[in-house]
Amino acid sequence: MKSREQEYKEIFIAEALEYYDALSRHISELEKAPKDEKILAEIFRLLHNLKANAKAIGFINISDVSHKLETAFGLIRNKELAFSDNVVNVLFDGIDLLGEMITNIDNPNYKETSNEVLLRNLDVIIESADGAMPTAENGPLEVTKVQREFTAKNLSLSELIYIQIKKLDHMMNLVGELIIDRDRILSISKDLDNPDLISVSSHLYRITDELQFSVMDARLVNVGSLFNKFPRIVRDIAVAENKQIHLDITGQDIQIDRNILQIITDSLLHLMRNAITHGIENPEVRTKKGKPASGNVWLSAQNDRDMVNIKLRDDGKGIDLNEIKSAIVRQNYLSADVVKDLRDNEVLSYIFEPGFSLAKEITEFSGRGVGLDVVKNAIDSIGGRVHVDSQQGKGTTFTMHLPTSIAVKGALLFEVAGGFFAIPLMHTDSVVSLPKNRLHEVGDMLVADIMNETISIVYLDELLNAPEGMMQLGNKNILKGDEQNIIIVTYNNRKLGLIVDKLLRQQDIVIKPLNKPVDNIDIYGGVTLLGTGKVCLVLDVPAITRYFIGKR
Amino acid sequence: MNKQQNPEEISEQKDVTVESTVHLIVFRLGSEEYGIRIEQVKEVTITPEITRMPKTPGFIKGVANIRGEIIAIMDLEERFHINAGGPVSGLASSYTLAIEAKDYTIGIIVRDMPQSLTIPVSKIDKAPAFIQDLNINDNYIEGIGKLGSRLIIVLDIFKILTHDEVQQLKTS
Repeated sequence: MKSREQEYKEIFIAEALEYYDALSRHISELEKAPKDEKILAEIFRLLHNLKANAKAIGFINISDVSHKLETAFGLIRNKELAFSDNVVNVLFDGIDLLGEMITNIDNPNYKETSNEVLLRNLDVIIESADGAMPTAENGPLEVTKVQREFTAKNLSLSELIYIQIKKLDHMMNLVGELIIDRDRILSISKDLDNPDLISVSSHLYRITDELQFSVMDARLVNVGSLFNKFPRIVRDIAVAENKQIHLDITGQDIQIDRNILQIITDSLLHLMRNAITHGIENPEVRTKKGKPASGNVWLSAQNDRDMVNIKLRDDGKGIDLNEIKSAIVRQNYLSADVVKDLRDNEVLSYIFEPGFSLAKEITEFSGRGVGLDVVKNAIDSIGGRVHVDSQQGKGTTFTMHLPTSIAVKGALLFEVAGGFFAIPLMHTDSVVSLPKNRLHEVGDMLVADIMNETISIVYLDELLNAPEGMMQLGNKNILKGDEQNIIIVTYNNRKLGLIVDKLLRQQDIVIKPLNKPVDNIDIYGGVTLLGTGKVCLVLDVPAITRYFIGKR
Repeated sequence: MNKQQNPEEISEQKDVTVESTVHLIVFRLGSEEYGIRIEQVKEVTITPEITRMPKTPGFIKGVANIRGEIIAIMDLEERFHINAGGPVSGLASSYTLAIEAKDYTIGIIVRDMPQSLTIPVSKIDKAPAFIQDLNINDNYIEGIGKLGSRLIIVLDIFKILTHDEVQQLKTS
């Protein structure tokens, strides 16, 4: 496998060559229509991007030439330099030089022979514009003729193709279907016990695995493609808020599915705004508290097994738990005496409730009623989790646990009332087996003490299948047998134990969306087909948790 | 063709113009025969294993895997409150019509092997007075087809799952 750097370089070269092709085309058009501002703007944009890309990857020469050309075209755009014969020739030469440099990036023998003269020529035309006299009447510019050998230019097509994400989505779906069929074939071949079939199906297994990996790989992008937009955004918010912010970004080269990154873009922006407007204090306040005047924000990405963790940390004032508690009561989520007994992380989890707000004043960037529930919904929708930690006076950390890829997820398979169900591992905390006497009927619900934590337990069969209004969630006599298998799921800092009839196994599954008209039933995240051809319903933990809380 | 014409006139005209016909898939619900235009029927299969789906209305029997596609299966007898003595899904063997709705496929479970039938358009009474009298929610009946002594209720399948009911499927 190629190194990351090599891959970046190839992408850069391919893109740069496209820029070069576009530049050559546009400058030829410009020669015919020198007044066309659209073409000028496009050339300007291309050069600007090329300059930035080259600089980012360390090709300073290319960046310098692009910069000079950009300056020259800037002058033309501002009408400080006429697009006349001499200038045209120099610019054509300049663009050709760019092309030559790009194609020879990997050629150690390449000597940038005509550079010196050409760069001087570029300087000459740029300087000529600085003079008081308009260029056109300035007589012929003293440009030195560059002898360039046009050794029959190589025509070549780009190494890079653009592809609509829609096409990749389609491919991904097809691979998903293929994997379901493969598992089915594998299971049949085991039953039939035919050596030929077994050997061909195990080969099929390897090929489809590799195919799936390739398609997933093709969809991966660097987290940096999102992170690198933040320095500017942070600056703008900081200016508007009159705050000093130092932003530290790490883990830009962590890779993640493009669609997942797209979905969390708004959430990350939202959290960043919150961190700066509500988290970081004013410089005066910070100084008084003995903190550096400039606030720190850390944006980082890390791989964690099959997941990517994106973390946003600030060293601001943190979240005031008492303020949340009084807001919980004020906005009628819970009564004052219930709130008193909540654990800290349960209190914090309320910031993700729809409509919950601590904002007392509205600024340009925050407090417009779009709450953190939007962030949580976005992350829920891709099967991720969001977690918040906060220490008053020290700062707040939001952590998003995201799947690397949308299509395949590890899941726990189990049976309830004869039906097959799955829960993504992302949401499972642990699996325990408890005798009935460890479950306690408290009020109209079951609780158990599991590893020193009091956890609500629900019998999934009852929650799913009992008719509305007749649910007995607090009755342990309806449980079958003595030992109860409990899957403990976590959602929004809360734990919930689900009693299932039979635990099956852990398995990678391809989740297919449900079709209409059963597509909008919250508690299902989708379906998957098992190797046996049976349909297995995938439960959506956030929705099940909400449903349970609603029933309690 | 004018609906007011009597049958004798139609048969006379048949020699002159080709009578346009409708191809229906006909099945039994309760004691009556129902028909769906063949263009709306994707396929007819022996009912595959249905996975029950908790938290759906009773007439949704669950989901099933039909050629890799996972579709919802609906029992029209329950949907129309037809008392037929025991649910269709309880039978040892039944048939499922895969219906192509606008942007999804849905299965309809029926007792007996459905038949294919062609009847002239003129034999479908599109606007019997009683349909107008029916509750507006029941306007999924497109017309009443008559063939000899048989009476076939032609369904407009797109209207069977009305907007209201799709909404009803939402939980919590």
